[in-house]
Amino acid sequence: MDFTTYYSLTAMVDAGRRKARDKVVVSFDLFDTLLIRRIHNPDLVKLPVARYIAELAEQQGRHWHQHKVQQQRDTIEGRHRAETGTNFVDHEACYPLFMRELLMKIFENSYDDALLEKVTDYEIVMENSMLVPRRILVDWIKELAGAGKRIFIISDMYLPATHLRQLIKYAGLDQYIEEVISSADTFLAKASGKAYTMIAEKYALAPSAWLHIGDNPVSDGLRAGETGIDALIIHDPGEDQRKSIVKRYYNYSDGKPFWRGRILQQLMAPLEAENEQHSVLYSEGYNFLGPLIGVFLQQVARFCKEKAITKVFFLSREGWTFKRYWEKAIPRLYPAGGLPEIEYLYVSRMALAGASCAHQGLTKTNADITFLPSGNRDFRDVCRIFSLEPELFTSHLAMFGLKPDTCLSPVHEGYDPENRKRFDALLDDQAFQEEVKRQTREPSLAMQRYFTRAGLFDHENVALVDIGWLGTIQRFLFEAIAHRSDCPTCFGLLFGATRGIPYPESSKNILKGIMYDRNRFDLAASTLFYAQDIFEEACRAPHPTLNGYRLTEEGFELEFRHTDDAVGKAELEQDGYFVPLQQGILDSAEMFAAAAALLGHCFEDWKPWVNYLLVTKLAFPRAKEVINLRHRHHLDDFHGSKKPKSDFGKGLVPLWGQPQMQLKFNPFLRMRCFFSHLGRRINE
Amino acid sequence: MNSVLNKRYDLQGLEISRLARLALWSKFVPMGNFHGGPGGRCLTVLILLHYFGYPMYQLHARYGHRLHFLRRIATKLRT
Repeated sequence: MDFTTYYSLTAMVDAGRRKARDKVVVSFDLFDTLLIRRIHNPDLVKLPVARYIAELAEQQGRHWHQHKVQQQRDTIEGRHRAETGTNFVDHEACYPLFMRELLMKIFENSYDDALLEKVTDYEIVMENSMLVPRRILVDWIKELAGAGKRIFIISDMYLPATHLRQLIKYAGLDQYIEEVISSADTFLAKASGKAYTMIAEKYALAPSAWLHIGDNPVSDGLRAGETGIDALIIHDPGEDQRKSIVKRYYNYSDGKPFWRGRILQQLMAPLEAENEQHSVLYSEGYNFLGPLIGVFLQQVARFCKEKAITKVFFLSREGWTFKRYWEKAIPRLYPAGGLPEIEYLYVSRMALAGASCAHQGLTKTNADITFLPSGNRDFRDVCRIFSLEPELFTSHLAMFGLKPDTCLSPVHEGYDPENRKRFDALLDDQAFQEEVKRQTREPSLAMQRYFTRAGLFDHENVALVDIGWLGTIQRFLFEAIAHRSDCPTCFGLLFGATRGIPYPESSKNILKGIMYDRNRFDLAASTLFYAQDIFEEACRAPHPTLNGYRLTEEGFELEFRHTDDAVGKAELEQDGYFVPLQQGILDSAEMFAAAAALLGHCFEDWKPWVNYLLVTKLAFPRAKEVINLRHRHHLDDFHGSKKPKSDFGKGLVPLWGQPQMQLKFNPFLRMRCFFSHLGRRINE
Repeated sequence: MNSVLNKRYDLQGLEISRLARLALWSKFVPMGNFHGGPGGRCLTVLILLHYFGYPMYQLHARYGHRLHFLRRIATKLRT
């Protein structure tokens, strides 16, 4: 029998359909035929396994570098193949045998079969994460199974059939396959043609009624033909192109760090049936925001390990997405464990601001924070933010010549610097501060009860993970609990720390921006300033913001903002609009973990690409991207609703606030905005 | 509607041509630290692969065995 080579999968399946009519058995090669690999070189999957073994060894005080583990594995596997070659034509190896030997060599007396099982499971998970079933072949297999054909999968591979079954099960083909045959079980491979003879005898198959599909002209074509089996060979130029691209990205990333993030994204990208048509926002989530969040969380995990942080609190509401991303990605990046506990913590600036005054009162810095947003004007805004009753302060204000409506913000009409001085003097007044403390005592107590239940005080070092930007949530949170003897050391890890007001850092209260920190000059990452709201909206939890903590007889109650008013409804509309974006982010998590684990790079390696992502998407976006990603509604209760002076903010229309026509047809707009941004960063 | 990976195996919204454009701009305007950037040769090869890879590999798959003389010429030119 001869074999035919096809250069298009569709043409091959069409020919296969015609041939299969007269056949009883159809067998498929597994790797690079039925399942394609995301990576060009299958041996790369062995590297994270070597890293995993090295980490397990390290936990037992055995110092084996991953390269040494890999080298040892290659040596043992090579020896096994040579030994097989003395008794068989094919030089095959069997994974459980050589892996057991490797583990016994590394772990000596502490080796047990559970360890082999653990390592095997990880290898299968890694292998599976890099495999994708070919959609057309999967559909054809289902068709063949429906027509009552006997379907076999034959592979020349070191993994035994039981392990390959798992990969087939992940691909959703388990129920259609009669048997999986691996050369690792019998040492009879397709390469010599012995496997075909053995299978024909074992399963009583007539070669003339057998059709074999594969990609190797020798093993799957020539050898099958010599046994009398009809064979079809696929040589897909599309696959050659894809692998060649992956290979280049991988090889270039070795010498040029810039490409490390790009190869990460190439490996993350969905293939075949995974690569469905989605909304444009989904692609933005998968290709832009997802990898950024992945890199951020990978660095958070690394930081936690370095600083012995035992619990990570993801702060609401952006922490909701971070936590879900973490659950999908980070345990796969650290298979040997040692990760901190995680919890979602319901907080908000508004809820914590009041609680922060219960012990220290209202400080001048905190009062100044009120007047950072241009929508806040007077003492009523201070009261709104710090959950105070303005009417109860009338007498205190009057003593200093102030009223609740006296303008205290320089960006509003009627501002008199003298009033601000009087207000500062009011903050020094004992009676005023006593009233502040009295009014905020109950919410503070309720907040502490909630934090106690969340386990905040059970740890020495905790991480508070949030999107950004000024660190006010952590500022208020720490101030609210700083008086307690069991107050943990709080490491605030922000996606972007734009700061703007000095943060009161101490040995127990640390704040750090991961992707961007204003305390270090990073021009590319500073483009976060262009569109901070996008990150907030994209990561926001699908629940309303927290208004405060209420003390109850049983303990406490969380008070959420109502969603039945215009602002609440607008926020729900925005959430609905960004559903595909969030879905894209979360769908990218597992593939981020798989690709990052395979490549073994860290934050510093990804950073050049992260910088490129931020610059290209935020500072030089396409008009359509701005239009799609720009939020429809953005709720910020902290920002009041009062109108500043008419000349405030004039001439400062940011790029992401520009009208569609400007974005589309003004060729100098982006460069002008970028130079203006550059000037601001240099001068700050 | 679109897919995350386009037919040229390029990332939607982060195409190699867009990268090449920004890399070119970054030669004249300071845009931040790209750690040496993508490099002209790498970019050229990748642009060729993304945009013309399929016809190239189709030719190679079908007639690769007849095109060995081209490889010999290329090797000679390199040495």
